[in-house]
Amino acid sequence: MTAGEERAGTFAELAHVQLEKPGLRRAIGSAMDRFVVNRANAFAGADLEAMRAAGEAIRAHTVARLDVYLAQFAEAAEARGTKVFFAADGAEAVEYVRGVVRGHGATRVAKGKSMASEEIGLNHALEADGVDVVETDLGEYIVQVAHEPPSHIIVPAIHKTRQDVAELFNDVHHTDLPADPPELTRFARELLRDRFLSADVGITGVNFAVADAGAVVIVTNEGNGRMCSTLPKVHVALMGMERIVPSFRELAVMLPLLTGSATGQRVTAYLNVIGGPRGPDDVDGPDEVHVVILDNGRSRLLGTEYRSVLHCIRCGACQNVCPVYRQVGGHGYGAVYGGPIGAVLTPLLDGFERAGDLPYASSLCAACTDVCPVRIPLHEHLLSLRRDVARERAGAAERSAFRTWSAVWSRPWSYRLAARLGRAGQVVFARGGRIRRAPFPLSRWTSGRDLPPIASRTFRERWKRTRRGSRNGAPDGR
Amino acid sequence: MDADAFLARARSGLAGVAAPPLPGTRPPTPASGDGRLFDRFAEELEKAGGTARWVNRQDLSAEVYELAIEMGAAAAVVSDDVDEFRERIDRGLADAGCAVGPVSREAAAAADLGVTGAVAGVCSTGSVLLRAAPASPRIASLLPPAHVAILHEAVLVPGFEELFDVLGEQLLEANAAVLVTGPSRTSDIELTLVRGVHGPKRMTALVVREE
Repeated sequence: MTAGEERAGTFAELAHVQLEKPGLRRAIGSAMDRFVVNRANAFAGADLEAMRAAGEAIRAHTVARLDVYLAQFAEAAEARGTKVFFAADGAEAVEYVRGVVRGHGATRVAKGKSMASEEIGLNHALEADGVDVVETDLGEYIVQVAHEPPSHIIVPAIHKTRQDVAELFNDVHHTDLPADPPELTRFARELLRDRFLSADVGITGVNFAVADAGAVVIVTNEGNGRMCSTLPKVHVALMGMERIVPSFRELAVMLPLLTGSATGQRVTAYLNVIGGPRGPDDVDGPDEVHVVILDNGRSRLLGTEYRSVLHCIRCGACQNVCPVYRQVGGHGYGAVYGGPIGAVLTPLLDGFERAGDLPYASSLCAACTDVCPVRIPLHEHLLSLRRDVARERAGAAERSAFRTWSAVWSRPWSYRLAARLGRAGQVVFARGGRIRRAPFPLSRWTSGRDLPPIASRTFRERWKRTRRGSRNGAPDGR
Repeated sequence: MDADAFLARARSGLAGVAAPPLPGTRPPTPASGDGRLFDRFAEELEKAGGTARWVNRQDLSAEVYELAIEMGAAAAVVSDDVDEFRERIDRGLADAGCAVGPVSREAAAAADLGVTGAVAGVCSTGSVLLRAAPASPRIASLLPPAHVAILHEAVLVPGFEELFDVLGEQLLEANAAVLVTGPSRTSDIELTLVRGVHGPKRMTALVVREE
C-alpha cells in the first residue's frame, strides 16, 4: 500500500543499533521530560479531562461521518476555487503532485512539514523527476540534509545534538558554524529565505480541514507554513482523509488540545487558515491551491475495531511518555510514524507482513492512552494487534507448544512436576542468580531480557512447611 | 481516484457505524478570558515573546517613532488596512528617519519593519488575527524581521471560542487568515528556544484605546 521504502530492519534489529548510540537515550529522554513538563504547564488551570472528553467526542463523531464531511469539505473548497483531489493510495497522490509540478514547469519546491508526504515518499519521487525539493521546517531540513527520516512527529531532529547539527551544516555547506542553536538557526533562515522566494511550488501538510468552510488549517511556530502557502504561485496541501473537523466551532476545541499536547503551547506562533487562491485584487498569495486527500489504507479501518486510530491528531504526546520510544527513539521503529501511535498505525496501513513486529515494541504500560488528547485506547489496540498478528502468523509448532503449556499448567500435579523439572533443568542456564540465556526457542525471549530463576523452593513447598512449622510452634518455615 | 468512488469506499466502511453526537457545550479552553481584557492580552503575548502596548490615539505617532528608533528601522512597509491610523503611523516613521513604501514583495523582503492592522485580538493567548485582503497583503507581516500590529481595543475578544463564534463568517470568506502569537520561533535543536526563524523576530501589538 505504501510507497515508502522497505523497512531498514525489524524492530529488534533497529532498536539494538539505536541502543548502541552514545548519548542518544539521554538526549531523547531529557527532551521528552521537558515535553511532559511543558504539556502540564500548558493545561494548568484547565479542565483537561473535560477537554479530552470533548476532543474524543468530536473526533469520534467526525470520523464516523467521514464520507459526509469530506464531501462537504470538497464542495465548499471547490466553490472557493481550490482544486481537490482524492487519492486512493500513495501512488495516486504522488502522481497528482508530480503532475501539478510538471504542469507549471516547476524546478524548485519549498516544503513545509508533512508526515503524510513522508508516508507516500513524495520527496524521492519529485527528486527523481529532477525537481529541487527543500524541506523548510528547521528540524525537517536537518534530517533532509542528513539523509535521514524524521525521528519524532513534532521535533524531527530530536536525536541530533547541537554538535551533530553544526558538524552536518559545516560539512555540507563548507561553513565554520559554532555548535550554537541561535547561530545555526540564523544560518538556516538566510539559506531558506532565498529558497522560499524562488520556489515555484509550496507543499505543506494539513493539521485540520474545516468541512463547512472548505478551508485547511496549518499550525507552525517557525513560519515556514506561512511562507510555503503565501510566496510560491502554487500551494499544494496534502492531508490524510481523517484530518477533518465539522466547523470552526469544533476547531476551537481541537486546536488547544493539539498545541498543548504537542509543544506545551496554548497556541503556536502561527495558525494559518487557508481558504483558497488569491482574490483578483490581492497583492499576494498563490494563484492555485490544491488539496490532496489521501486514503492509503485508512478507509479499510473505518469498519473495524481500530477505527479510533483515525481520531489521532498527530501531536506526538504518546511518543514523549512511551518508555520504549524514550530508549530507542523514532528510528528504532523503522517506520514513518514511531512510538505508540506508529506501532498501531504502521501494521494497520502497511500490513503485518511488513510491520507485524511493531505491536510488540511496547510494554503495554498504557501511558500513551493516559496522555492521548483524544483518548485513543492505544495500549488496547496494541494488545488486539498482537492477537491478530499471532492468529495470522503462529505456526503449527508454536500453537501446539502453547496448547501443551496450557494443558500442563492447568492441572496441579503436572504444574508441580513442571516446576520441579524446570528447577532441575535451569542449573545449566542460571548464572549469578539470573537466567541470561535459555535454549531455543526460549532464547528469542531471553536475548532481550534476563529472568529470575525458578526459586529453590516453590511457594507451595514453603507454604506446606510453614503450616507444619506453625503447628509445631515455630513462626515461619525457614 | 474519482471523488464519488473514494467517498463510496468510506461510506461502505462506515456502514452500520453510529456517530456519537458532537458535544453540546464546549469546555473552556485553557485560561480563556477572565480579568481585564488588555491586561490578559499583554500578559499572554509577553509569555509568547512579543510585547503589547496600550496607547491613546494621539500618542500613536510617538509610539511608532519610539519603536522604529528602538529597532533602528531604516525602511518599513505599511499595509492599507491601518486606514484611520495611517497618517499618525507615517508621521512617526518619518520622524524616525524610516522610509515608507507600498507593500510589494521586494519592498517587504528589504524592509526592517512591517506595520499592519488586525481584525481581532485574542486575550487568552495574546494573539492577533490578520485577514488577507487587497488592503491586507500577507507579506507585510511575514517578510520583515519585525512586525507591528495595530488594533482597536474594541476588537479584543476573551478566548478562542469567541474568536471563532464572532469571526466564523469572516473566516468563511477570507482567502487566507493567520492568527499570530508573538515572534516566529523554533525549538528544533535540542529543544532550545530560538526566536526569529522564517517570520519576524520581533512582534509588537499596539492596542489603541477608545477615549
